[in-house]
Amino acid sequence: MGSTFETIRRLGPAAFVLKAIIAAIVADALLLGFILLRRAYRARFFAKRDARVFEFRRNWEALISGEIPYETWRKKPFDLRIVETIVLDAFEAAGREESARLLNFLRTSGLIDRLIFDAQRLQGWRRRRALVSLGRTRALEGISALAEGLRDRDAETRLAALRGLARTACPEAAEEILLWVGETGLTVPPLPLQSALIQCCAERPQVLLPYLHHAEGPLREVLGRVLGEVATPSLGMDLLEFAVDNLDELRAAAARALSHVQPGLALDALSELARDPIWFVRLRAVVSLGRLNHQGAVPLLLHGLTDSNRLVRLRAAEGLVGIRSEMVSTFEEVVATRDLYGLHAYLTALENAGLRRKLETELETTDSINENGRKLLLAVLKTGTLAVEQPEPSELASAETSFRS
Amino acid sequence: MIRLLEIVNQVLFFYYLTSNLAYLITLIIALKTSAAHQRRLESNRLGWIKESPLAPPVTILAPAYNEEKSIRVSVRNLLELDYSELEVIVINDGSTDRTLEMMQEEFRLRRVRAVYIAQAASATVRGLYRSDLDPRLLVVDKEPGGSKADAVNAGLNAASSPYVCVVDADSVLERDALLRIMAPVLADPKRVVCVGGIVRVLNGSEIEGGQLRRVRLPRKALQAIQVVEYLRAFLIGRESWAQGNMLMIISGAFGIFRTDLLRAVGGYRSNAIGEDFDMVARLHRHLLERGIDYQIQFVPDPVCWTEVPSDMQSLGRQRARWQKGLLDVLWRNRDMLFRPRYGRIGSFALPYLWIFELLAPVIELGGIVTIILAAWLGVLSQEFFLQFLLFGYAFATVISIGSVLQEELTYKRYNDWQDVARLVSYCFLEHFPYRQLHMIWRLLGLVQYLRGDMAWKQVKRKGLQSAS
Repeated sequence: MGSTFETIRRLGPAAFVLKAIIAAIVADALLLGFILLRRAYRARFFAKRDARVFEFRRNWEALISGEIPYETWRKKPFDLRIVETIVLDAFEAAGREESARLLNFLRTSGLIDRLIFDAQRLQGWRRRRALVSLGRTRALEGISALAEGLRDRDAETRLAALRGLARTACPEAAEEILLWVGETGLTVPPLPLQSALIQCCAERPQVLLPYLHHAEGPLREVLGRVLGEVATPSLGMDLLEFAVDNLDELRAAAARALSHVQPGLALDALSELARDPIWFVRLRAVVSLGRLNHQGAVPLLLHGLTDSNRLVRLRAAEGLVGIRSEMVSTFEEVVATRDLYGLHAYLTALENAGLRRKLETELETTDSINENGRKLLLAVLKTGTLAVEQPEPSELASAETSFRS
Repeated sequence: MIRLLEIVNQVLFFYYLTSNLAYLITLIIALKTSAAHQRRLESNRLGWIKESPLAPPVTILAPAYNEEKSIRVSVRNLLELDYSELEVIVINDGSTDRTLEMMQEEFRLRRVRAVYIAQAASATVRGLYRSDLDPRLLVVDKEPGGSKADAVNAGLNAASSPYVCVVDADSVLERDALLRIMAPVLADPKRVVCVGGIVRVLNGSEIEGGQLRRVRLPRKALQAIQVVEYLRAFLIGRESWAQGNMLMIISGAFGIFRTDLLRAVGGYRSNAIGEDFDMVARLHRHLLERGIDYQIQFVPDPVCWTEVPSDMQSLGRQRARWQKGLLDVLWRNRDMLFRPRYGRIGSFALPYLWIFELLAPVIELGGIVTIILAAWLGVLSQEFFLQFLLFGYAFATVISIGSVLQEELTYKRYNDWQDVARLVSYCFLEHFPYRQLHMIWRLLGLVQYLRGDMAWKQVKRKGLQSAS
């Protein structure tokens, strides 16, 4: 040993490097040792856990009915964690009746109180985990603890609370979220907020309206998008009000939501929105027109086929194909627009829906058009180009005239 | 002369020390961030993303060239991915085998007139086909373009979703791959413009019906060493660079991009050697020049598995090509260096790549030459040589074992004790002679580039069918 130290001493200035070498070797050994120890520990841990999980699952009914006293597992953190995991996983696949039974078990066993306590008192990732777990139970008594999480200083915790509230999917949770965004504005990314509100407002979209009237800026956009997703026919008149809003996002949301309204009420508003200067408003409008599945939407969708935006054209074409109407006359009108991009979009939609062959057959057998018109339309259908003989104006001008009228 | 050799040796030593220190820092960052990532995943369950009505549609772009052995399995695998709004575009890049016929038989393809707008440069498209069995599948049959970039561009022109996911047709994606890679986009869609996924080594693993059944370490040493390399590159390198929003590479085997941005930069550069690296560099440039607040993120979850070369020749070709690609991109973007407008990319990421990646083979092999020269001249300090060797070796193994530890702490996909023991042993064995060989391949890549040799040399692969 003495000679080794002597060598190090003689190295002089290089001693630092030698120390570094030794440190690196020690680090190697420590890393390896850690990997080995961790593997050994985990192997034992998982073996033990698997055995307990098996045992709990075997006695599951007795466990949740209370036949097995709760104290037997509640006092052991290892067992408590396993039971909690099994219950929360069971919630994901449970129907209404089973969920109620599981919730009852959580309440009587005191697990829900523990989750609420953890969601309120813990910090960092433990709190986040508790918040999400609490949300997964869909227990109404957990909403206030989740709402507290929304007001945490840490953004990740706020997100976890939001996700937890989203899981409860009830209007009470929506109220809490809306109250919070009303107080603080957008302090989380918009998408998780939208997602949470969509889930919570689906049952009662009316809760959004007062907040939407008072919200400003980006928050108004977010709420508008949510409205677009959750709107129901019961919101009819309110939606018409938003269709002339200054905010593009809100007009788009109204356009989207109008597909749920009676066609008689929606068509006029949608015809305006389909001419909106903003492309995504037009897009929403043509999608809604397609969903209305009403003959009155056809001229508007034909106009959409000639839109400057590719997505609008595509959706208009899909809408046209989706409307159960006389295919030959619709195709005639598409050709009459003399718009190659629109024609391509229509043919794409037709082929995607597997209706191309049907149209061809109808064209071959119909007697609603003359022979020249039939040949022309068949040629357009087969070649996908408009560079064929110009049709008789009387035959193919109907689309434009009907749209203008 | 002697003095000069001494100075050179000292410089080399400090270069080595600095590069290893940089690796050590990235290891520490990666260990910290992946732990945080694991915790974050706990509060963001993937199933919720799947159920969300707000998950934006995604188009998968899978270029295929002579993949007749594996194309059916690969496409089926892509169609089975967990994602609500999915479109799969397979680009048959002028295959000379039966790739297209195989797909026609398997998916009942019929010729369609889908919308194709040639915004990104690509070779002529011969036809578009849609599946009768699954309308989400579109096949673009095109003339050979000679590069993956050209094929991806063709797919980009036909894509109809706001996000495209570029994959290799011969890679295996895990079912939740898209959900995982889309999680950062869903969390912050305004800022996150693209996300890179981790690519892991498929060789040796068991596959059934195009799905990974059991992860095993390859038997051949050459492949197993690549596992260590991939772990180090992805779990340590990319993870930590992404933390500083300085990720410069999103692997061509698995990455998601905003479609409008790819179109805005004109799609992939057809003659780029490393089209993935080139694209990310151009995206950085595009966004920084416009002062857009953006993020390029990385998801370390093991979701994409790819076959690595199994023979020396193929591996050498692959590494030489990577090095050519690196030089190609760095040279094209040299004007970004140290310009304040390009922020940390210009002042940190690119200089790092120049010094520690591009010049590494020159400096490292130069170091070996000077040591030999010094020994030949009889002026080699044995002390210095020993220090150099020992320190370099011990430090490099710390990094490699650190990447294995990272895998152990987080994803732990190698469950077999034997596999882990072998993996650790390769952390010690890869430094001689593999490392030196690797440097020679990379140096050859630089020489080839400087000589103007840009030819694509085929890398031998067995294909999924044989793997299963």
